[in-house]
Amino acid sequence: MTSVADKTTKTLEQLNVRSSESVASLFAELKSSFDAEAARAMTPDAWKELRDRWLGRKRGLLTHAKDNWLLSASTSLKPEAGKQLNALRAHVEAALEERRKQLEAAGVAAEALDLTLPGLQHRAGFRHILTQTLQEVCDILARIGFATVEGPEVETDYYNFEALNIPEFHPARDLWDTLYLDHTAKALPDDLRGARSDPNSLLLLRTHTSPMQVRVMEKQPPPIRIVVPGKVYRHDNPDASHSFMFHQVEGLAVDRDITFCDLKGVFDFFLREFFGPRTRTRFVPSYFPFTEPSADIHASCHVCGGDGCRVCKMTGWIEMCGAGMVHPAVFDYVGYDAAEVSGFAFGMGLDRFAMLKYGIDDIQLFFQNDTRFLHQFRR
Amino acid sequence: MNVLYEWLKEYAPVEASAEQLRKEMPLVGVTVETVRPAKNGAGTLMEIDVTPNRPDLLSHYGVAREIAARYSKPLQPVEPAPKESSTPVGESGAAVEIANPDLCHRYVALVIRGVKVGPSPDWLSKRLEACGVASINNIVDVTNYVLLELGHPTHAFDLDTLAEKRIIVRTAKPGEKITTLDGVARALKPNHLVIADARRPVALAGILGGAETEISFRTKNVLLESAWFDPVTTRRAAKELGLRTEASYRFERGMDLEMPLQAARRCAELFLELAGGELLAGALDIYPRPWQPPVISLRQSEIERILGMALPREMVERILSALGFKGTRTADEAWQVVAPGWRRDVTGEIDLIEELARHYGYDKVPAHLPETRQPIVLPPHTAAEAALRQTLEAQGYDEAISFTTVSPASAAPFLRPGEELVRVHNPLSEELSVLRPSGLLSLVEALAWNVNRGQRHLRFYEIGRAYTLRRGTLSERRVLTLAATGLLREKSVHEAEQPCDLFTLKGAVEAVLERFDLPAPTFRSCDAAMFHPPQRAGVLCGEKQLGVVGQLSPELSAQFKLRQDAWLAELDLDALYAAGLRRRRFQPLSRFPAVTRDFSLLLDSGTSFGAIRDTIEALRIAELVSVAPVDRFRGGSIPGGRYSLLIRVVFQSPERTLTEEEIRSFSDRIVHALEKKLGATLRA
Repeated sequence: MTSVADKTTKTLEQLNVRSSESVASLFAELKSSFDAEAARAMTPDAWKELRDRWLGRKRGLLTHAKDNWLLSASTSLKPEAGKQLNALRAHVEAALEERRKQLEAAGVAAEALDLTLPGLQHRAGFRHILTQTLQEVCDILARIGFATVEGPEVETDYYNFEALNIPEFHPARDLWDTLYLDHTAKALPDDLRGARSDPNSLLLLRTHTSPMQVRVMEKQPPPIRIVVPGKVYRHDNPDASHSFMFHQVEGLAVDRDITFCDLKGVFDFFLREFFGPRTRTRFVPSYFPFTEPSADIHASCHVCGGDGCRVCKMTGWIEMCGAGMVHPAVFDYVGYDAAEVSGFAFGMGLDRFAMLKYGIDDIQLFFQNDTRFLHQFRR
Repeated sequence: MNVLYEWLKEYAPVEASAEQLRKEMPLVGVTVETVRPAKNGAGTLMEIDVTPNRPDLLSHYGVAREIAARYSKPLQPVEPAPKESSTPVGESGAAVEIANPDLCHRYVALVIRGVKVGPSPDWLSKRLEACGVASINNIVDVTNYVLLELGHPTHAFDLDTLAEKRIIVRTAKPGEKITTLDGVARALKPNHLVIADARRPVALAGILGGAETEISFRTKNVLLESAWFDPVTTRRAAKELGLRTEASYRFERGMDLEMPLQAARRCAELFLELAGGELLAGALDIYPRPWQPPVISLRQSEIERILGMALPREMVERILSALGFKGTRTADEAWQVVAPGWRRDVTGEIDLIEELARHYGYDKVPAHLPETRQPIVLPPHTAAEAALRQTLEAQGYDEAISFTTVSPASAAPFLRPGEELVRVHNPLSEELSVLRPSGLLSLVEALAWNVNRGQRHLRFYEIGRAYTLRRGTLSERRVLTLAATGLLREKSVHEAEQPCDLFTLKGAVEAVLERFDLPAPTFRSCDAAMFHPPQRAGVLCGEKQLGVVGQLSPELSAQFKLRQDAWLAELDLDALYAAGLRRRRFQPLSRFPAVTRDFSLLLDSGTSFGAIRDTIEALRIAELVSVAPVDRFRGGSIPGGRYSLLIRVVFQSPERTLTEEEIRSFSDRIVHALEKKLGATLRA
């Protein structure tokens, strides 16, 4: 039997096709032959072969069909042959285009696009976890009216101790092991030294950020509500929980009618915001020369919830902060009337806060600037 | 302070267990750190953390007082009643004189004759040892026992070793020396208070006894000292002599002026019991500055003003009397209060309020937020610092925080001419003995730390402070420091690798400065010694130098053990903050298209891009939008001594579409100017 493809090389006459109906069935035969071949053309190469076999300009099957079945057809059969050929060409072109699109889509997926490759990212820098903690603390306190101020790290004895009611040779000085500088207060510009600092006393690295209490109150009348974050220094040998440099946030509120209730309210709010809503706070009597009554503020252990664990040394409580009502002697130093105004002050170790919140077990990690550490804390 | 639970209970008859005390006493301000059985079986040892204001808690009796008050139990009194002989103390020949009554307000001496010095009984030595005091002999042990019991330091002299049996309390004379009980010979200064006999100092007042007059097994007759010494004098001398003793620790905190006689009689009672002998009748009690207890007004209104709540009248009176305060009610809600001698820390109304608050219970004071009466004013540089951080973090710089103190050897290369290092007087070590004169060395250390641990591609910023002395004036400056090393971008399937170089940092510096209200920066070659000479520049805004940028010199790389090229920059933050952030003004958007023209130029090697940009800008073509370098190469077909630079120029008018003719005219003017002024030739 002769294949329909072979038939295209023969004229209608040779094929003994004499009626319009016979022309139509011949084209139908050719169309089904194309459809069968198209169904098998599943690769780009097979597609090209299919296209060339059917649409090739010189030797394509449709060219043969045009030459032998249309151009050489008798006048009576020409209209039908022309109509059939145009329809078949349209069908072939549409089918090829459709298949091309299918193959292209499949090809991109199979070869070009590997969706498992990592996306292209631009890595932003990491903010130090202490800065993040500091900003969180200051932001929480800002929401209840505390403005952030900064002060000098090189201080005079007057601001760091004396005006905070810690005179020279007071045993309370043992609470702060101080790093002194080889230079006296004379080396400071007048505005920083202040009128009351003894020019012959040694300068020191501030042992707390409390001196700013005095500096701020000297310059402005109440009401005052400030937080002072910054680096502080102690003559402490380094270990996992001690560093000679660490960070403190000092707070001060002075106004008429500021009471111990307000101090408690501020810390209930602050510690809950920082450590979570289930945090409970506890105030325990303590001693600082510049506050009275003085308190240590404890938070319920956020690790065990208060049942006792290693982090809280089995007590259920963690010491967070020293605080108290501003001592009248401090008001005397800055020229406030202690009978008219009252206030509270607090100081907390920022490094310790970050260690507790993130489970960091060595304070030295904060200052090594090891990127394996820094990169753990995406803001 | 270590105390024995069983000993405490002799004065405070409470039911509470030691463990219960550990939990509950901190809430009234007596912090019990640990509770554990004493190793020698003497009882349950409690470690108490005593704050500097409470020397009265440095004794069992003082701690018991707080416990009794906390649990509302009566405190058992200590009332020594030693049997006195019929011989008055004066007949012993002993005499006491205080030459400096300002420094020694009271001196009590008792004389006990015919004692038999020997070992202490077990109950005594065990209690001492449990509390950390070594047992020596029955006489010395009794003085230490009374120290732990009542808190008052006493000292026993061998009466027969005192020249003329005299006691003179005076300051040391020039050149005087004493050999103390620890066998150390010490030179004395005129501000040191001593106990002397007729010839020489025999004890450092309130600190330590002398070796020549100590109790020995030959001692027959004892002179017992129980005195009161000035806190500041004691503390100064103890510090200067480098001697800290149980006695000095207490005297420098302020002892009870009413206690010396009672403590002495308690010692005598125990001497007689344990060493026999006879106590001569009476005491040599020189008391030139009698205790004047302050009389303090206490008002309910003040309690309320400070605590935010009133306390019931009965509670006020119960707490104060349980703690030993005496008082009278002067009005319905007001009192006159007299503080006991052991509470020298209580001098004002606020001190009484604290006593009331802690025994009432801080936890019972209600909590509420204070009203806010003023808006928050942020410091002026808050926004500027936020802008800096945002700019640098967006560019991939990690924040570093470094130590302020550094070693002189690492600091010195970073000093600028005319500057000196700020030294620490009492450094922890030589490595931490100066304040850093710049943030640069800190970041070099941070780079070295990481590179030596395998992290090789790094960018850091630090907002910190730098300290120097200039003509005797100390300056504490705020600085922004930047550092980069390794690859800016590592190779991946998406991108080629890109190393850091000077322009990495120049870009960061430009990005930072662009945020501030400053003239566009220029970078001018400089002689900063820490940088590698071919790659270093001063950063200028106008005529003012705001910082430096450069490659770390090979010598410093070696010194800091940094095995990679590194680039650093530092800017003066105070100057940036003073300039303030740049204010943005809206620029109308042009509705007409921009036109881009590329020029491929052949230039002499010495001709900079800056010169080309300046030459083009000098033409003052109003429609000129930008001039950018696009590509650059040397060698190949380019003749020696020249290089090729492709620049891209953009023109745009806000008013109309530019015509071909206009663009051609701009281009011709540019080419002509570059040819004439810079000897450039247009390629192709």
